[in-house]
Amino acid sequence: MNRNKQTHILGGVVTVVILILLIFLSNVETNKLSYLESVATSIINPVQRIFTDLRNKIQGNSVYFSNMDSIIAENEELKKKNSELETELRELEIIKAENTTLQEYMNLSEKYADYNTIPAYVINKDVSNYSSTLVLNVGKKDGIEEKMTVIADKGLVGNVISVTENTCKVQVIIDSASTVSCTISTTNESIICKGTLENDQILRASYIPTGAELIQGDTVYTSGVGGIYPKGIIIGTIKEIITTSNITDRYAKVEPAVDFSKIDTVLIIKN
Amino acid sequence: MRKFTTIIVLMVIFFIIFFMQANVFNAFTIAGIKPNLVVIFILFIGLFTTQTLGIGFGVVCGLIIDLIYGKVIGTTAIMLCIIGYLGSYFDKNFSKENKLTILLMVFGATFIYELGLYFINSIILDFDREYFAFFKILIIEIIYNILLTIILYPIIQKSGYMLERAFKRNNILTRYF
Repeated sequence: MNRNKQTHILGGVVTVVILILLIFLSNVETNKLSYLESVATSIINPVQRIFTDLRNKIQGNSVYFSNMDSIIAENEELKKKNSELETELRELEIIKAENTTLQEYMNLSEKYADYNTIPAYVINKDVSNYSSTLVLNVGKKDGIEEKMTVIADKGLVGNVISVTENTCKVQVIIDSASTVSCTISTTNESIICKGTLENDQILRASYIPTGAELIQGDTVYTSGVGGIYPKGIIIGTIKEIITTSNITDRYAKVEPAVDFSKIDTVLIIKN
Repeated sequence: MRKFTTIIVLMVIFFIIFFMQANVFNAFTIAGIKPNLVVIFILFIGLFTTQTLGIGFGVVCGLIIDLIYGKVIGTTAIMLCIIGYLGSYFDKNFSKENKLTILLMVFGATFIYELGLYFINSIILDFDREYFAFFKILIIEIIYNILLTIILYPIIQKSGYMLERAFKRNNILTRYF
């Protein structure tokens, strides 16, 4: 009986040690575990895809009954075109803003890189309340790599954290472990936006320079510092500025441009 | 052989619960907060079967969740492993006949699981801990879990005793004599 108990404890300890090793391994060499990840996703995803299709069908029920497939196809095409146009519009806006800056510093010149994007669908959302990851239906065979930027029609969504053959995992900017370096449009001050737990539609902007003047409603976009996100992608607008007794502690609430609760189609920037 | 079939059935139930969590409960939320059925499931495996199976199921199910959603592989597995052990610990020390003790067990398990997971993740991924927001979510999640346990209690008890018959036949005698 005593020996039995000892082996039980030993088994438990060995399991925990193996799992801790796994955590370290997954932190250091993520690529080595991508095979295991492929196995897990290939079990889950076929079924999950059925559920996703079913949900999409139920959501489009009223159209479905009238049996007008052509309208659905046309709608799909228009939506795609719309999101493309909106991307273009956003790029133009950024170019316009940059143009004014360039006119100010006449000798500076920087070419705005044309984005090469891949469309993707969200097929799975996180089951936990404390983190937000998305699973998309594109993977290694579509040319997706880690650290690629994911955007939606209105702004930044997040970045790819791991890729399998057919799917990829995206860390969303509202996740509490996510940090984005940003710039405020009017004053060009740089701030850091972090995800919060208290609200899905709020980012917390901190490390605001003490001399900076913040204006409610200002647009916030990525600064390109940090190496993951390219420069000039819209994140959202400043919703509220919270001043504390110490000016170095003050922070702002930024409302993301993308509605993360309804997100289902995204674009991945391939560069 | 009977044990083997039961394990297969339990694995299938895990996948059903997993898909429910990913699809149904992403829509049926209380103030935007989802319940955690997987914790209840692992707790009941620990309660009604053996300690080894509870821990084993915790690790396997945790790894599957980690591989699909996790930013770090292994954290959910550790916490579910602890919940599996906790189930068998509760089994040795408390009665399963009483509804209130079952509810308290679910309360304890959800609390320990989410707190542990948040703490480990905050250390590994290095983000600021927001205690107020965290406990607000946790309390609603625990209430949701308890409500689901109350609704599912008859099924859980019936299938629980079926599992107990399959896995530990003589335990009731050795415990009292």
